[in-house]
Amino acid sequence: MTASGLTDGVREFLLAFADDEHLMGQQHAEWIGVAPFLEEDLAFCSISQDELGHAASLYAIVAGDGDPTGVGDPAIDELAFHRDPADWRSCRLVEEPSEDWGHALVRHWLYDAAEELRWDLVSESTLAPLAEAAVRATSEEWFHRRHADGLLDVLLVGSDSRERLLAALDDLLPVAISLFDPVPGEGEAVAAGVAAAPFDTCLPTWTGRVRDRFGVDPSCTAPSPPNGRQDRSPAFAPLLERMREVFALDPTATW
Amino acid sequence: MKRYEVFLKKDGRDEYRHAGSLDAPDPEMALVLARESYLRRAEGDRLWLVDRKDLIIGDADFVAPNADKPHRHNDGERIAVRRRQLRKEDDR
Repeated sequence: MTASGLTDGVREFLLAFADDEHLMGQQHAEWIGVAPFLEEDLAFCSISQDELGHAASLYAIVAGDGDPTGVGDPAIDELAFHRDPADWRSCRLVEEPSEDWGHALVRHWLYDAAEELRWDLVSESTLAPLAEAAVRATSEEWFHRRHADGLLDVLLVGSDSRERLLAALDDLLPVAISLFDPVPGEGEAVAAGVAAAPFDTCLPTWTGRVRDRFGVDPSCTAPSPPNGRQDRSPAFAPLLERMREVFALDPTATW
Repeated sequence: MKRYEVFLKKDGRDEYRHAGSLDAPDPEMALVLARESYLRRAEGDRLWLVDRKDLIIGDADFVAPNADKPHRHNDGERIAVRRRQLRKEDDR
């Protein structure tokens, strides 16, 4: 497939990926200025910026109907900020608020342990701009994982911090599995060679990573019921409102 | 948390220069955090980190006696003054 137009299924597949990246980036960004120490504040907002960059590159492919060349910020913003909530394809994990740093850190780890596998699946995509985006994203994911692992190496040792992190894991695991919940269009994307395989084929690798990291077996967790990413959690509306705050102040502003 | 001193260098030019310091729980996190605190905008290609406890420190009292040795300041000022004087004498 080249710049010849996206089928509805492929479009849905790309939006699910983009929406996850976008909301993960936005959620991380909420820690700017309030992360536990200055250096971590900078590192975490860099990671947030990377995720937003991934989202922008995916939205640009959708906005350009397969060819992101010449797609400008307004077209990306249209998808990122002005879409009707019913048209979003994000998963539960990235919609949930995180008011506790341990919670945000465990989600960061869980998300990036899966995201790396997700980019691998499209690294040889027949949709060339997607394969190109994967090259950049993969180079950044390596750092995201090292960052999350580095912190967990230190914090899973202390007894108080370990308790907090495992409580967060307990809370997050049922929704984390929603990451692998496919949109109905995924089959079409796989058939067209846009992705090498359905994302949930990576589930065993991911659960293995969770087990090695936390000593907890995610397959013992009852996942939140899959919904094909068709409806939004209660946490979505307030999140979208926060994201649209600046636009709401002045819809014509440019910066 | 430990405190690390950060040194950066551009490939092919300059020497390592002190860029600042940072707090991190261990060497691995120090590397990760230094990259995002000091190398966000390609400020260098190479990075050194030194645990502050490993620094060998000369304090102010140790250094102070050398502050009062003007004869070591080889700025040529005294010679310049003398030359100006000689030129004036020649002109007369």
